[in-house]
Amino acid sequence: MNYVAFSLKQALEIRKATKARVMAGGTDLMVSAQRGEGMMPRFEGDMLLISHVDELRHIGFNASGELEIGALCTSAQIAGDSRVPWALRAAASRMGAVALRNCATIGGNIANASPKGDLPGPLYALDARVRLLSVDGAEEMLVSDFILGLKKTKLKDDQIIGAIIIPKMDEWFDYIFWHKIGTRRANAISKLTVTMAIKLDQQRKIVEDFRLSATACGAKTNRSREVESLVIGKKVQELEDLVAPVQEAFDKVISPRAMPVFRRTATKNMIADFFSRVARLPEERNME
Amino acid sequence: MDIKDPIKRMDALAKARGETKYLSDYRFEGALYSRMLRSSIPRGRIVDIKLPALPEGYRLITYKDIPGKNALQMITADWPCFAETDVKFVGETIGLLVGPDRELLQKLFDQIEVEYEAQEPAITIAEGLACKGGAFLNGNNVHCSLSLQKGEDIEAVFSRAYRIVEQEITTGFQEHVYLETNAAVCTKEDGRFVIYASAQCPFYIRKSVCGLLGLKPDDIIVRQTATGGAFGGKEHFPDVLCGPLLVACYVTGKPVRLVFGREEDIANSVKRHPSRVRFKTALDKDGNILGMDSEVVYNVGAYLASSFVVLQRGCFHVTGCYSFPSERTKGIGVATNTYPSCAFRGFGAPQTLFAIETHMNYLASLLGKDPLEFKRRYLIKKGELTITSGPIIEDVKLVQMLEQVLKASGYAEKSKAYAIGSGKGIGLAFYNHGGAFTGNGESAIIKAHVKLVKHLGGPVEILCGQTEMGQGFQTALRKIAAQVLEIPPETVIYDNPDTSRVPDSGPTAASRSTMVVGNLVYKAALDMKRRIDAGEDGFEVETVYEHPEGYPWDQSTFQGVAYLGYGWGVCAVEVEIDKRTAEPVVKGIWTSHDVGHPIDELICHGQVNGGVVQGIGWASTELLQNIGGHFKQTSLSDYIIPTSMDTPTMSVEYVDNPYPWGPFGAKGMGELTFNGSAAAYVDAVSRAIGKTINAIPIPSEVIMDYMLDKEASR
Repeated sequence: MNYVAFSLKQALEIRKATKARVMAGGTDLMVSAQRGEGMMPRFEGDMLLISHVDELRHIGFNASGELEIGALCTSAQIAGDSRVPWALRAAASRMGAVALRNCATIGGNIANASPKGDLPGPLYALDARVRLLSVDGAEEMLVSDFILGLKKTKLKDDQIIGAIIIPKMDEWFDYIFWHKIGTRRANAISKLTVTMAIKLDQQRKIVEDFRLSATACGAKTNRSREVESLVIGKKVQELEDLVAPVQEAFDKVISPRAMPVFRRTATKNMIADFFSRVARLPEERNME
Repeated sequence: MDIKDPIKRMDALAKARGETKYLSDYRFEGALYSRMLRSSIPRGRIVDIKLPALPEGYRLITYKDIPGKNALQMITADWPCFAETDVKFVGETIGLLVGPDRELLQKLFDQIEVEYEAQEPAITIAEGLACKGGAFLNGNNVHCSLSLQKGEDIEAVFSRAYRIVEQEITTGFQEHVYLETNAAVCTKEDGRFVIYASAQCPFYIRKSVCGLLGLKPDDIIVRQTATGGAFGGKEHFPDVLCGPLLVACYVTGKPVRLVFGREEDIANSVKRHPSRVRFKTALDKDGNILGMDSEVVYNVGAYLASSFVVLQRGCFHVTGCYSFPSERTKGIGVATNTYPSCAFRGFGAPQTLFAIETHMNYLASLLGKDPLEFKRRYLIKKGELTITSGPIIEDVKLVQMLEQVLKASGYAEKSKAYAIGSGKGIGLAFYNHGGAFTGNGESAIIKAHVKLVKHLGGPVEILCGQTEMGQGFQTALRKIAAQVLEIPPETVIYDNPDTSRVPDSGPTAASRSTMVVGNLVYKAALDMKRRIDAGEDGFEVETVYEHPEGYPWDQSTFQGVAYLGYGWGVCAVEVEIDKRTAEPVVKGIWTSHDVGHPIDELICHGQVNGGVVQGIGWASTELLQNIGGHFKQTSLSDYIIPTSMDTPTMSVEYVDNPYPWGPFGAKGMGELTFNGSAAAYVDAVSRAIGKTINAIPIPSEVIMDYMLDKEASR
């Protein structure tokens, strides 16, 4: 049986009652269910279409100044909203082709838990949280905790992703790096995406915070707080000396199966590039 | 008005509005749907086919249903319509399941089980030549071979050479990626079988499939439906659909329809031949080339089909735009357990043209010479002999074209400014493409006819078998007729061909349509003009191809004038490589082409844009691996063709070099435009990273391997 919900309440009730699988933009699910020329896609089990639920389509700051992005916000919407941190906007703007970006939603991109998904990389690095809704209430957790592995998440069978919450960040990260190596320059799946961010102290001498994530290097996006701790508290002048230890430590975190030489080498090179650029304390905040 | 001045494409509006009907838009009363049952193993014997209980109206058509001969008559007839006991490649047609309801058909199809006795396959060129798993053809897996020799015996040249340089260069599979997938319907109208197909060559289909029912070509009608791209992939391949459909229509008495899905099409259709070219070049002590020997091996796949002719053209182009005192080549078409390769824009020439350009660059780098200066010394000229020992009979304007490209690209300054290995590079390639069928093929094999009709008190109509597949030919041919007749081109009728209405003017292939068929229409129009001017109305004019005297060709020895007119090209490509990630960015593309005299510069511009980008795709991102007989990249998110975002604005120039036997001086150009960009691109990348590259494609991970001096890691 297929269901279409027209309000959040209705969606949550149907989900609770039927455990139907949730579909929003359909840009992954419809492709996975295709059956050949002239035949309608077919799914195993019940489906719940939530793309008409307007309550999940907003972007805005909440009372604590955190940015909330409704689960049904499309990549095009995210890419065009200047309140969204640059790395996430960049990732959204380079996802698929124009038509796909007009349909694909941030909730779907997370729920799909593809190792090559475009949005989890920046979301991991930003410490973004996912808000899960059900008839019985809401819970929040880090996106990096929510995604368990290849196509696996912690979504319970009565829950729907409601929103993604990004802690206030643009002003407390001084430098952000995001680079996607796509299979080509547009309409491309990621071969490797690296997101990094550095926050300096007021004197711009000490690294107060450092984030590093890599996508398409294993069953899910990789991030390691242990590796990040190698950099936190160090002097900016020391950054170039930290390249080798960080490269080495992060190399142990990632686990690319295909094209390992390429993915490991390019990851190392991007770390080196970001560190050497930040060490010069440039004007530009966003780096690709 | 000069014929080259662009006009609005005749097919543009209907296509842009979505009004054009493609095959899958047609409806036939009582039509059956069909699904192809194909081999899932690359080599073995069919032990059993287990069918579910088939309801009435559902049936699996197999070779047992063929009343005539189980063969598709392509250039050779070795590819059967349905496999009988043995299967030789993944995707080989075993049967066609037909039935009225698509859902039920799919359900039944999913329940069919084929039991095989598998044998060890040979997939690569090396495995084919080594007869891995035991030879499956002729005791040596050699489908076809040929040898050519020009000038002094190459062994004698080697014996006195100061230095001998050897190099091996390889290229991979390429998928056509026409926008419209393969599709056909076979039905019966007024007691005759009628095939509707998305196809390049309606007359080829007729000839290929009629023997299945023991019929003659004339007994079958083929109607081309609007064709959404082809690139050679719909030259012979539609036979693979139309054969089973004809048998199914014969058995069931109903229209039967087959439309491939995209992944089905990529996984189960012909490709460009992978190649391995080995050069052995003799140099004197000053670095002059004394002679060049080569071995050209193409991976033909399980069946020969059209591949001997592809291999021949590869060998005829193995010395590119150059002439050396002594030349020898040996071509081998090797049998493997892969999907048979077939026609693809360039028809065997791109592989050897890529190889010779890459080899010339390698020689120059070994000798410490500027590659462009090195190559220029050997550019072939009018009157000089090609590798088939026949002369070039036209002016060769490569030097003039080179000047255009140098000026537009800033090649000289850039090649100096961009140090080898600096991450920036500019590359340049010379290339050509022999127009139309080789030698006397147009008169000996094709014998094209066209008709021009002046309807009484009505319009002029062109009757020929040439097909529009997106290249613009329905506009170009109307322009030719209209210009001669001094009437507006949009008043000329030229419909998609129906073999029962139009004469056989040969295939829409081999860059021959404008050059050869265009000229027949031109001549017919001249005749018609005279008669109209004399007051005649309601008549038709037929013209037949005649080969000019004095340009002999021997098809048994491959000696003589291989082509009366070549298209010529010069292409420069500039790239920048991200040293961190090995990502290439194409910064500029500059071209000049000799197409004789363009019939419509805008249509030619489209061909240049498309051909050049398709060539760069072949060299860069279009990795297509065959693992254990299965193509690995079968969707458009895995098989990576370039987008407009990957392609900078292209400089497109021409030289005027009117061809005496072409309409308004026009020559062929559809394939030419593909033939050089791969070499120019790889030259640029090679300079940017400071490494010799001798295999394509080179997606970024392969460029990274070269940068790290690693063997390709995949």
